Amino acid sequence: MPARPDGNADYIRVAGLQVSYDGTTLALADMDLVASKGDFVAVLGPSGCGKSTLLHAMSGVLQPQAGGIEIGGHAVEGSMGSDAPLIGYVFQDHRLLPWRTVAQNISIVLHAAGVPKVEIEDRIERYLTMLQIDRLRDAWPMRLSGGQRQRVSIARALALQPAVVLMDEPFSTLDEVTARLMRQQLAELWQESGQTIVFVTHSIREALFLANRVYVLTKGPARVLEVVDIPIERPRRYEDPRLTELEGQIVNRVMSVWGYGEPEFEPTNQERQ
Amino acid sequence: MTERPEGSIADLRKAVRDRWLDFVLGFAGLGSLVLVWWIGSRTTTFVPSIAEVISSIPEFVREEEIWPDVLATVRRVFGALGIAMVTGFGAAYVMSRGGLWGQVVDRYVSLMLGIPSTIAALLALFIFKRSEVGVYFVVAIITFPFVALTLLQGLRAADRRLDEMSDVYRFPATAHVRHVAGPHLVPYTFAALRNEYAHAWKVVVLAELFAVNTGMGARFARAFDRFLLVDAMLWLLVFMVILLGTEYLLLLPAERRVLRWRGSGQVMA
Amino acid sequence: MTTAPAIAVEGVGLRSRERSRRVQAFIVASLLALGVWQLATFVSDGWVPSLGRIAAAFLEDLTTVQVWADIWVTFRRILVTFSAATVIGVGLGVAIGLSRRIAAFFRPIIVIGLAIPDPVYIIVAILVLGTEESSGLIALVIALVPFVVNIVVSGVRARDQGLDEMSSVYRLGRRRYLLDVLGRQVAPALLAATRTSFAFAWKLIVLVEALTQPRGIGAQIYYSFRLLRPDHMISLALLFIIVLRATEAIVFTPLERRLLGWMR
Repeated sequence: MPARPDGNADYIRVAGLQVSYDGTTLALADMDLVASKGDFVAVLGPSGCGKSTLLHAMSGVLQPQAGGIEIGGHAVEGSMGSDAPLIGYVFQDHRLLPWRTVAQNISIVLHAAGVPKVEIEDRIERYLTMLQIDRLRDAWPMRLSGGQRQRVSIARALALQPAVVLMDEPFSTLDEVTARLMRQQLAELWQESGQTIVFVTHSIREALFLANRVYVLTKGPARVLEVVDIPIERPRRYEDPRLTELEGQIVNRVMSVWGYGEPEFEPTNQERQ
Repeated sequence: MTERPEGSIADLRKAVRDRWLDFVLGFAGLGSLVLVWWIGSRTTTFVPSIAEVISSIPEFVREEEIWPDVLATVRRVFGALGIAMVTGFGAAYVMSRGGLWGQVVDRYVSLMLGIPSTIAALLALFIFKRSEVGVYFVVAIITFPFVALTLLQGLRAADRRLDEMSDVYRFPATAHVRHVAGPHLVPYTFAALRNEYAHAWKVVVLAELFAVNTGMGARFARAFDRFLLVDAMLWLLVFMVILLGTEYLLLLPAERRVLRWRGSGQVMA
Repeated sequence: MTTAPAIAVEGVGLRSRERSRRVQAFIVASLLALGVWQLATFVSDGWVPSLGRIAAAFLEDLTTVQVWADIWVTFRRILVTFSAATVIGVGLGVAIGLSRRIAAFFRPIIVIGLAIPDPVYIIVAILVLGTEESSGLIALVIALVPFVVNIVVSGVRARDQGLDEMSSVYRLGRRRYLLDVLGRQVAPALLAATRTSFAFAWKLIVLVEALTQPRGIGAQIYYSFRLLRPDHMISLALLFIIVLRATEAIVFTPLERRLLGWMR
């Protein structure tokens, strides 16, 4: 049973969601998720379990077979009208337009969302600075490193000032050092901007470090296995022993469910990639 | 350490040096053709010597009557090519959508790919008699299927990941075409343009031979008929100058500018 | 904009639907074309031969032995030129595609080569080498090479350069690299190149034969032109195109399937 956050009205509500990506095989079977405004929610699952499909459905691009998605009170099921809430999306592979500069990549998206021109310039300036890439504003994406491209992708999503930012394993292709830095920065950015974030990952540690609440999924067709609240105060340390313990609990819980063998008796202290 | 987005000074210098080397090599390539010419002039009786041709250039250029012909041919090439590019894109779009009409157009295009220019020219002669329209018709008909083929490849190779991004961020159709689909097609458009530009020149001469009496093709043929080989050579030179001119002064710079986002693969620190 | 990611479901229903649509398309295309043709006949006052006359001429040509002898002559020539042009074109194309310097050197030659009208090649070759068959064929090979080079170069340029690095790290050696790494990637473009040069060879040969030789389909078509028999012009051309299409289906399609099978 999914835990309800105390007090806050649900800003995002996913109920009984069933999604398949080819019409026959279900990727998600009966998915429930809630988030309040400004919440940071992580969705954790093994590779290929359909967690990306959840984001696809939430962004309005994929029509679910059953169930409902509500964002900011607005029902989103497979179609997004012009009055629908704005969605910021950070893909695993950045998906920047290679033939446009960094600044243009952001302005194009803002323009498509109907942001007035004067404000576009403002936001570009602000969010590039926030992500510490303001000197890259006229650079071509192909000239940037992986980490820099992801920062642009994040800046693009944030600059939209959307109802929710959906992040699909954004750091999984980066090297460990860059990824750690980005996680840190993301946590700070989240606190500063008060943005609602739904973050998909297969790294347990990452989920625990970043989120208020983690939805642990089964293998595909996925449903919620467990919802873990993380009451640890911020700013958090990546090596915090409390996180390690939580990680161990989750590892034990999912070992057999995700199909990796018998659960161990001692919580492991290993880094899960 | 300050860094400019375009890369360091050393990069710029290397780029300029590379460009220069390309130019020099191109010149050398041209030189090899001149060499072939020279050999030809020495070993055969009918190929005029280089000196002879060069000395006739000033007089030839001053002749006023050559320019209308040059312009006529140029006009036909650009006009027919324009038509071919537009219709070619239309056909490619229909083909990429599939379905009944997509396949119908596909059949036509495949068929048209096989028409020899001679037959098309003779056909145009029959249909349009001896007219300007006939020349446009021949050139457009011959180049159109190739344009369609190339652009179809481009449309089919669309990056679905970017399409998905454009869906998620809800790009309106105009923005999608302008920022995603359009730029993706640019290299394919250049390929089609380049190939068919040369192709159009090839065909226009033939078409002029059969259909009309004006234009460079006609002049060349006339010079050849009357065994004025120096004149024939001069017309050939005009032809080559225009060709190389458009390539190096128009196509290459345009291509470079539009594709500068590719970069040299350098990554900034 | 709402679209579900389009992952096609392979099913029996889809295949047969696809096939029936293709047949439909063929019928529609043919009917439309025939309709337009009759219109052209009507509009041009009989200059464009009517379908009836073409059909009659076709039957006549189909049963004339001489025609088939000519078809064989032309076919043989096409084979020779296209193979030579393909071999040279591929060699040159790979060199140009891999080396920026070589590309820069050959650029003016290719640019001009693509644009020189075919008659020029032929006339020059005839004048230089005499009116034997070989001179025409040599001219044709020279005329075809730039096209093949063009296609091969785009194929080479579009390769995955990550695999280049892989082959040098694993020290695969030049031969292995060219055959297994580059070759396989260039294969689809190569196939397109051979198809194109086959098609081009046909066009050029028609021209050569029309201008010089007494034998061959091109010559026959030209004679029909001189005798003001456009119906025979078209029927001969049609007959030959059918032979070519048949060859394509028999030779190229299976080849394509074998070489490109790994892509499916």
